[in-house]
Amino acid sequence: MNILEINNLNVSYGSKQVIKNLSMNIEKNKITAIIGPSGCGKSTLLSTLNLMVTENGGSFTGEILFKDKDVLSYEKDHLRRMIGIVFQKPTPFPFSIYKNLTYAPKYYGIKDKNKLNEIVESTLKRVGLYEEIDKDLNMLATKLSGGQQQRLCIGRALTVEPEILLMDEPCSALDRKNTANIEEMLLELSKDYTIVIVTHNLYQAKRISDYTAFILDGELIEYDKTENIFNRPKDDRTKEYIKGIYG
Amino acid sequence: MRERLKDNLFRTWIVLSTSLVFIIVVYMFLYIFINGAGTISREFLFSDPKGMPMGSEGGIFPAIVGSLLLMLIACVFASILAISTAIYLVFYCSSERVKRLIHLIIQCMSGVPSIILGLFGYTSLVLHLGLGRSLISGGITLGVMIFPYIQVRVEKTLIEVDKSVVDASYALGVSKVYTLYKLIFPMCKFDIVSAITLAGGFAMGAAAPIILTAAVIFAPVPESIFSPVMALPFHLYILTGEGISLEKAYGTALVLMLILLIINIISALINFTRKEHE
Repeated sequence: MNILEINNLNVSYGSKQVIKNLSMNIEKNKITAIIGPSGCGKSTLLSTLNLMVTENGGSFTGEILFKDKDVLSYEKDHLRRMIGIVFQKPTPFPFSIYKNLTYAPKYYGIKDKNKLNEIVESTLKRVGLYEEIDKDLNMLATKLSGGQQQRLCIGRALTVEPEILLMDEPCSALDRKNTANIEEMLLELSKDYTIVIVTHNLYQAKRISDYTAFILDGELIEYDKTENIFNRPKDDRTKEYIKGIYG
Repeated sequence: MRERLKDNLFRTWIVLSTSLVFIIVVYMFLYIFINGAGTISREFLFSDPKGMPMGSEGGIFPAIVGSLLLMLIACVFASILAISTAIYLVFYCSSERVKRLIHLIIQCMSGVPSIILGLFGYTSLVLHLGLGRSLISGGITLGVMIFPYIQVRVEKTLIEVDKSVVDASYALGVSKVYTLYKLIFPMCKFDIVSAITLAGGFAMGAAAPIILTAAVIFAPVPESIFSPVMALPFHLYILTGEGISLEKAYGTALVLMLILLIINIISALINFTRKEHE
């Protein structure tokens, strides 16, 4: 089942067109990886899906359907609640871990202390931080290590119970061990969520994703099951890109 | 060889300049301290001015309270406007032209001589609005004076907030207002409070804006915001200008400087706490 359908999408910043006539569908409860060289429009595509792109001065034409309804027909806030995003650089709020995780639930009207505590605890367990922080919920989130910060941010995105999780190179600032941690977590999360991940790391795409899309200069070159993209790419450009990395 | 000479000359020059400023400040403070310390007593701090002419004996209590109240009103008035303006410019205004225009206006405001602000307050507030020479007229006039200082610093603080953290909040589907109150204000509160206290100190020391709008030679501790008040800088001006009592003038100057020093220390402590927090 497709949770997102993108039809003839064009995105531009001012006069510069970043995404050109792109169409693709994203399947529910799968991990879809988007790969391509720097500046090809991967991140722009991601930020268009939850309309963050307009916040930063971009505009788009074409159609994006979320659960068979045009994204523009949703309230922007509501849409972003259902389509969460995690950025490349960890962005913890400079408050305690507890406050980071209750920030959004409180906005959505959850006032009950027990309920909030429950959300915090289950989220921390889910992202594997519960043991690591030794139950010190009042610790400043900015004091966590980079990898822990990123997992907290993923957790924070989960506190609003989204249906899709967009990830913009969530591991590019992390070391190998933390990356492995997060990948393991994503595999676990994909049982409940649809994940779209932009990555520079082809190994990562290969390891965790079900589908892979290759984008070059804003155009979708090839989109298929991950094993097909990596083992039997149809397009020469895909072949070259993958070969270039594998050397 | 020549480069080294230049280097040394430059170094001497900056060290000398810095020490000169330092010496002037210390000398001024010590001079006032030595001349004023003898005057300071419980009675001086906590009783009304007495004697003939008024002020030659007694204390300066109403002036201390008056100055603090004037500062408070100025801070409240100015910071509400300044913070709102800064928020508008940073988070809501999308037109570069409007931004430039507002910045230009604020720059001009900060350049208006304080005596002109005093005259403006006198004609508009005291006469036209009929507020009379009062705490509220003087407070608002001082508020207009410190508005640009608070606005500029608050805007700078807001601009420096990490954009990606703000985006992360929007990405949770949270509204702009919630983001402002629950994320941006808590992140900037120390800077904002420190900007307001510093500006408050500046307002407290200013005499020109209140000469025509609030301050009188003698008034008891004000009963309402519509009462005229005494204020330290104006009292000081009268004591020396009319040659009433040089001794009391030194005492008043010392009290004023001590209060300003305390305000500055508070502001510095707030900044220090912020650094600790990070």
